[in-house]
Amino acid sequence: MDESSILKELADAVVACDPPRAKKAAETALSAGMDPVKAINEGLVVGMGVIGDNYAVRKMYLPQVLVAAHSMYEGLDVLIPAIPKDENISAKKAITGVVQGDVHDIGKNIVKTMLTAAGFMVDDLGKDVPPQTVVDQMLADQSEVVCLSTLMTPTMDNMAKAVQLIAQSGYRDKVIITIGGPPTTDAFAEEIGADHRDENAQQCVKFVNSKV
Amino acid sequence: MAMSCRDRVIAALNQESLDRPPVAVFTTCDTIGMMEKCGASWPEAHSDPQKMATLACAQADYFGLESVRAGFCLTEEAEALGCPIDMGTSRSSPMLKGHPFTYNPMKKIYDEPDNLPDIDEFLKTGRVKTAIDAMAIMQKTHGEDYVIVGGNTGPFTLTGHLLNTENLVYSVWTEPERAQKWVGAIAPYCKAFGQAMLDNGADLIQMSEPSASTDILAPTDFPVQSGQFVKDCLGSLPGYTILHICGDSAPIIPYMLDTGADGISVEEKVPSEKAVEIANHRGCLVGNVGCAFPLFKGTPADVEKAAKQGSGESHQGGVNEESQLSPAIYSSIG
Repeated sequence: MDESSILKELADAVVACDPPRAKKAAETALSAGMDPVKAINEGLVVGMGVIGDNYAVRKMYLPQVLVAAHSMYEGLDVLIPAIPKDENISAKKAITGVVQGDVHDIGKNIVKTMLTAAGFMVDDLGKDVPPQTVVDQMLADQSEVVCLSTLMTPTMDNMAKAVQLIAQSGYRDKVIITIGGPPTTDAFAEEIGADHRDENAQQCVKFVNSKV
Repeated sequence: MAMSCRDRVIAALNQESLDRPPVAVFTTCDTIGMMEKCGASWPEAHSDPQKMATLACAQADYFGLESVRAGFCLTEEAEALGCPIDMGTSRSSPMLKGHPFTYNPMKKIYDEPDNLPDIDEFLKTGRVKTAIDAMAIMQKTHGEDYVIVGGNTGPFTLTGHLLNTENLVYSVWTEPERAQKWVGAIAPYCKAFGQAMLDNGADLIQMSEPSASTDILAPTDFPVQSGQFVKDCLGSLPGYTILHICGDSAPIIPYMLDTGADGISVEEKVPSEKAVEIANHRGCLVGNVGCAFPLFKGTPADVEKAAKQGSGESHQGGVNEESQLSPAIYSSIG
């Protein structure tokens, strides 16, 4: 298999939602001596981009996105350990989390996947995350991006609190903050001092890439 | 003579003539102010039938809304079927803290739905029983003037609570029959809970099925993975029924109506004119004043504008009785 065929196979395996095929394509890439970063960026990420674009316009739905993401991660599990450690140091860092009081994390997980596909090192704080934990982890990671999510109206206050604590930490001008989830709006993002309200994961990645 | 609140809601559900669309809530609308006024607050009101009934009726007593509804979350059935729950506070809803069954389609490790609790025992368990008991209290105090609404969880959503929603959704792509088998096994619990609330005083069952929204399932998956089971566990009930699905439900409105629910409840993401057109008189439409905006973050004028838009006034020059669209006022007014 030549390089372009391997890259195409990596992308196709993700689009086909076929985790074993993606893993095998990643192993083939390494066996062929391919740069793992190239295999990720020009193979797996290309495939995930196709999925993300189709999801954003509702030509694909969450079941496919989840299986495609699993396919991408199967490939990443093979390729990432082969990357020389100093090449990882320059990766952009992002934090994702569902704010305290809420455990609905599917949307956040898609954002995490798309940020990973865009080359970010994502520290996923999970769900029901206290505002102070967001700040503490952001400072510990020296993150460039914080993405917060909530599905419910009552927990919007904890989103505001997290942004407020980030501002008080003295780190606000070093980080891009985006928020998402059904009850959030552009006006709410502006009100609490976030930089952007994400309509979907693709839009989130597009925004943070334009800023970081 | 003006219609009573109860008569107005029932007339809307029957698609009969109205003096005006009812301002009724079928989902939840509890606010801190409401809790302070009536003396029954979360989290206690989730577990105490009298407090649950008091808070449920506060939406009529203090806010003047035209229906009364309990319970206040979508975790009652999940808890009764084994999910660990954090009961939250007066300001936060109960949260699922885990799933009692193993269902991992990535590793292909699954529990089968063979050892579920006895349905009669389920109805006597925890907050399922609380809600059933609350219906009798609500019927006694408010049944003459208001429609008594019992809320429950849709079968796809409840199955996701028990298994892990993300894993259930994953399997819709990889093993759709396995997903359907589980949802089909859970649906009888939804039906029994709805039936028990009707038997104990509820007039109407409002089922929420958020995990089957078009943000998650493809519209073509909805009837297979959720709709057919909702038809059995909601549409076949002997009382009034409303199916609520979040997000842009326009593509699945015909499927929602196929479930046999008397009403379908839509969010503000579905323009009311579009919903009316798609529904084509097949059922009562409920919606679509947004809970975050305008109710939580807007002004009274914003709410009025949205309500008029929802009822057809703004685009047809008068209340559109043909549409039978009832503006449902959600949380945080007052």
